[in-house]
Amino acid sequence: MNNAIEVNGLRKVFDQNAAIEDVSFFVKPGEIFGLLGPSGSGKTTTIKILTGELEQTAGDVNVLDVHSQSFGTSDFKSKIGILSDNSSLYERLTIYDNLKLFCKLYDAPLEQIDVMLDVVNLREESKKTVSKLSKGMKQRVLLAKALIHKPKLVFLDEPTSALDPGNVAHIHRGLQKLNEAGTTIFLTTHDMEEATELCDRVAFLDKGKLQELGNPDELRYKYSTHAFHVETFAGERLVIENESGNANKIKELIENGEVKAMQTDNPTLGQIFLKITGKELV
Amino acid sequence: MNAQRISAIFEKDIKDFMKNMMLLMMPVIPIILALLYKQLGGEEGLPIPMLYLIVGVTFSSVTASCMMTMMAEENEKKTLRGLMLSPASFLDIIIGKSLVVGLMSFIALTISLVIVGIKPFLNVQAIIGLILLFLFFLFLGIGIGLFTKSIASTSAYLMPVMFLFGFTPMIDFLGLGEDSTAIMIADVFPLMQLIDMHDTNSWIPIGIVAIWALGAALFTYICFKKVRTDD
Ligand SMILES: Nc1ncnc2c1ncn2[C@@H]1O[C@H](COP(=O)(O)OP(=O)(O)O)[C@@H](O)[C@H]1O
Ligand SMILES: [Mg+2]
Repeated sequence: MNNAIEVNGLRKVFDQNAAIEDVSFFVKPGEIFGLLGPSGSGKTTTIKILTGELEQTAGDVNVLDVHSQSFGTSDFKSKIGILSDNSSLYERLTIYDNLKLFCKLYDAPLEQIDVMLDVVNLREESKKTVSKLSKGMKQRVLLAKALIHKPKLVFLDEPTSALDPGNVAHIHRGLQKLNEAGTTIFLTTHDMEEATELCDRVAFLDKGKLQELGNPDELRYKYSTHAFHVETFAGERLVIENESGNANKIKELIENGEVKAMQTDNPTLGQIFLKITGKELV
Repeated sequence: MNAQRISAIFEKDIKDFMKNMMLLMMPVIPIILALLYKQLGGEEGLPIPMLYLIVGVTFSSVTASCMMTMMAEENEKKTLRGLMLSPASFLDIIIGKSLVVGLMSFIALTISLVIVGIKPFLNVQAIIGLILLFLFFLFLGIGIGLFTKSIASTSAYLMPVMFLFGFTPMIDFLGLGEDSTAIMIADVFPLMQLIDMHDTNSWIPIGIVAIWALGAALFTYICFKKVRTDD
């Protein structure tokens, strides 16, 4: 199979303001790919173009071997799952009835409703009316809705932004299981820990431009100074460059029993983003 | 078009209708009106224009009004987006909703007419007339529903539809001269044509109402094109 997503020279202009500029990347089948950026950087716009909700101003977009010209077809729409940033549920209906609607629209077997309710931990609440749910519970129903037809590829726009940590962990496990079963996941987030934990590869987006792309571990190595950070029992904090000339110095510290802690420099994705763009990711 | 998707939308909208007090009140209006009129009618039943006033109230307050309210709510609550991202086509969505509105209109109209006297409507010509009139109001409802972004704003559009097309027979009570321009224009309105039909047995009134229905369909199509290119 070819790449699940291929984007070349993507550009999107809203009334003379470019929201996306010359963005190119691909997503391999089976990957969890994270698009990271502060709010307003163009993440949602990218997802909307990849799912056919918006048309690009320029550039070539292919998703699951379908060219963007054919994103409007029922056939394409039934292959992908979407959790969009601003979607909502039918408030007067129960969780079950909401999922049943989408089950039928996507031509999925009704047994999938209970399967998905388990994934998002809402089996007990299925007869509850949506208007009575907390924001986090609604978000989990939306996630179940996005996955109900077992799509090969899902787009998740900030899937855990409204959830508390317990639920986030549960959803992460669910997504990892889904991914192990072969689903390709494209997600956006501004949560660096989420990206580090889940993603095989991440792309940094800032002001509509891709700034960096790679495996989180490789990026952390690439942006590391590789220096040793040493804390001594005397309370000193030393930064020792990773050079052969410093070998004796480190040997001495160890022999004298002075070393309380020692690590190599290993920046977080958030620190790397700050380094590249001069911005915090919020 | 896809029957399973249409039925999914129908099932969802029927459930939602039954839990929505505002929508549930709509079919009650013509029934209450019918009960009131029945008191006035006496032995020989109500005159034809009064019967069509009930038809007009049913189609404007149930058919057109429920349709635009349902569509406006999907817009306002952003649920329409979820439907549009699904494999359902826009036509599937509209047909599913129209079936709900059609069912509710049928129930409200039948009960109302049984109360005031359904006899004059039990012939092929009258039934065809009612179906065309229903389509006319349905298309108006869909067309307006396409561009209303909130439930609150629908009443502003509903009022003119109700007064012009739902209450047309009331113009006779305004005390205008027999040959005033307003009366002459009102005479070609769909409700007045159907009232005339009962005097003549001619099919011309049906033809004119069919043209109104086609006009409303065209209006809906234009609204659809406009909304689509604006996005
Ligand atoms: N429909 C629109 N019309 C005009 N500008 C828009 C529209 N949608 C998004 N934008 C602009 O595009 C930029 C990127 O927005 P968005 O993709 O929503 O960012 P993110 O999801 O990363 O927060 C923002 O500057 C936003 O104001
Ligand atoms: Mg966004």
